Amino acid sequence: MRETGLTAGTEAGFRLKEWIFTTDHKRIAVLYMIGSFAAFLLAGLMAMLMRTELASVGPTLTDNPTNYNVWLYFHGAAMILGYQIPAVTGYFANYYVPLMIGAKDVAFPRLNAMSVWLFWMGIVVALLTFVIPDPPDIMWTGYPPYSIITEGNTAFYTFAVLLIGFSSIAGGVNFLTTIIRMRAPGVTWGKLNMFIWCLMAAFVIQLIFVPILGDAVIMLSMDKYLGTHFFDVAAGGSPLLYENLFWFYSHPAVYVILLPAMGVLFEIVATFSKNRIFNYKGAVYGGVWGTVGLSGVVWVHHLYVSGTAEWLVLIVVFTTLLISVPVGLLFISMVGTLYKGAIDYKTPMLYAAGFLFLFLIGGLTGIPNAMSAIYIHIHGTQWIVAHFHYVMAVSVTSAIIGGTYYLWPKLTGKMYSETLGKLGFSLFFLGVNLTFGPWLYLGYKGMPRRSYDYSQFPEFEPLQRFITYGSYLIFAAALVVLASWIHSLAKGERASANPWGSRSLEWTHTQSPPPPGNFEEPVNLPEDWDPYDYAGNR
Amino acid sequence: MENRITSHEAQWHTSVWPLVISVGILFLGPLAFSFHFVYKNPFLTTLALGIGAPLILLSIAGWAKEGVEDVHRYSEGHGIWAMPVFILPEALLFVGFFAAYWYLRFTAPAWPPPGTPEIPHVIPLIMTIILISSSIAIHIAEKRLEEDNYPGFITWLAVTIALGVLFLCLKGYEWSELFHEGFSPSTNMFFTIFFSLTGFHGSHVLVGIGLFLCALIPAFWGKASKPFVTASSIYWHFVDVIWLFVVSQVYFL
Repeated sequence: MRETGLTAGTEAGFRLKEWIFTTDHKRIAVLYMIGSFAAFLLAGLMAMLMRTELASVGPTLTDNPTNYNVWLYFHGAAMILGYQIPAVTGYFANYYVPLMIGAKDVAFPRLNAMSVWLFWMGIVVALLTFVIPDPPDIMWTGYPPYSIITEGNTAFYTFAVLLIGFSSIAGGVNFLTTIIRMRAPGVTWGKLNMFIWCLMAAFVIQLIFVPILGDAVIMLSMDKYLGTHFFDVAAGGSPLLYENLFWFYSHPAVYVILLPAMGVLFEIVATFSKNRIFNYKGAVYGGVWGTVGLSGVVWVHHLYVSGTAEWLVLIVVFTTLLISVPVGLLFISMVGTLYKGAIDYKTPMLYAAGFLFLFLIGGLTGIPNAMSAIYIHIHGTQWIVAHFHYVMAVSVTSAIIGGTYYLWPKLTGKMYSETLGKLGFSLFFLGVNLTFGPWLYLGYKGMPRRSYDYSQFPEFEPLQRFITYGSYLIFAAALVVLASWIHSLAKGERASANPWGSRSLEWTHTQSPPPPGNFEEPVNLPEDWDPYDYAGNR
Repeated sequence: MENRITSHEAQWHTSVWPLVISVGILFLGPLAFSFHFVYKNPFLTTLALGIGAPLILLSIAGWAKEGVEDVHRYSEGHGIWAMPVFILPEALLFVGFFAAYWYLRFTAPAWPPPGTPEIPHVIPLIMTIILISSSIAIHIAEKRLEEDNYPGFITWLAVTIALGVLFLCLKGYEWSELFHEGFSPSTNMFFTIFFSLTGFHGSHVLVGIGLFLCALIPAFWGKASKPFVTASSIYWHFVDVIWLFVVSQVYFL
């Protein structure tokens, strides 16, 4: 066909109308991608502001702690709600699902378009933070009683969560229906791509737990603006109730992000090592669904020091340690897929390898956090911040960026420059380790989190400054990655239908980029088809 | 026919309504709420409502029109599968409120808190009977549609909507009586729970009525999407069942 680049169409040229009113899953994926990467860059900019503030003792950029709180609010809320969740459950989900199961589109294309626009409205609400008087200053957690007594606009926080939450629920309903009902003949449950399994699990978690977060933030705004007393101690309410409702969702939310991110990496690892998925059944039933099963019984480990009963703490120490078993199964399955594979270290594979390293550090630093006795020492320190940046922030970013490089030829019909790709990865990998490695040590030594100043701990200044430089390197990496994509759009070579030699449907059965309707003719697969059938390739 | 399909597939599908309804929700939700409750600016509140509400109503109408005319040829009966999936998070929304209710009730020194009056049980009983009748009515309406008996379908669907509206009127009456006696959500923890749960349920009844209106209006032109009607009726039965949980916990336990 004649299409080129992101403007792929039956007629060449970019037509705005076909983009903003689109109901096509591939274009909706691009809308999600642009929105989530914009959120990533903005939230990253907030991180740069905070890091610069911390580069020296005393006020550096600002002498107003509320400014720092607003940056912190925006950084956390936008990274999780605006970047990671939409990137994996919006962008990758939209692009991959219909292509991987051999469908023309999702079950409800217009609902799908509404999902992406509600997400964008959430971004608009987040951006309005910078122009409205009294912006929200309540971190991404919105804990009462501060969120109720603050001058800040807590309603914006509530509505940002509700908009993105509803968008996510609509997406979950849409994609689960699509996967259940629209698989092409031959795409059986036993042969689904790992990404599809991981995504289904993520959406099941979303459907069960997002409503509870919705309840929490609805009660929050009702308390603040409509006079109810859910979290008002004076009238018999309980802030602890909010913390429980909040973490009941927000802990499983890490699996909502992690599982599809691992799904993206499974595709990369299988393709670039030309190998079957090691222990496929164990990874699916034990790893993916085991994680879902345990995800709802670990949230109390966020409340060890909030006055939780001791018997409950003991149980949760156990369940929290237990969840490393299914997650470990997935990790081993990924490593096992590399074993005896013909590994080709293209840029996406480098990011996958980077993930394995970063996630391992993140996972191992999580074990002490689960143990309540050790946790009391590290609670509220930068150790926690460094831990969840390793396990979630930079690991998953590795998957999202690597996954985008992997998808790039299919998405745009162009090849990217391996040199720029590898340069970006090197800067990224170096930057995150130079930042969050020393950060773990800093936290272990007792540096408190969420502080805009550390006058009591002047001895930390050299290390803080070092970390700030490391974080600048991450930002530079992001710019190099962005530049490599722009370079590819402008000068990239035409990509073939299957440049990686993958066996999965989205590469083997349609061109790059796919036309409207995805496949030239209805997909009908033979009995022995398998998305990871590399036996003949080695 | 084959040709039409091919030329259809070769184009990028579009619909204006998803974007329009999202913009409407932005104005009606975060903006109108903030202008009223946070910034207390009546002019901007009215403006936001005036932009948001028409956009949403227009989009719903346009969306439904595309649906019954099937311009995108989407209707493959997925709705019947999707609605139960959607009901899962809907049910959990209520479970979250129920959990909060029992947590607060168990940690309260006395329940109901001092100063809580006896709430009459007659109205909720009538409301329960009305809602159960409406579930039967929508079931009959579905049967009539299966027989392609449009007048029968319209009649029973209208009966369902009327019962739903009557339910909301009774709820409104009960609330206004309480307000007149000086009780509000901020009175005490009981009324916080009472108004939240019944109000939250009422908003779901409203959504159900909205879905039925989207089925009723095109039916006058002899158009109806059977999967849509089935999916809406599944939703209505769900709202009905949830009411049994709400009414038993709020009024009788």
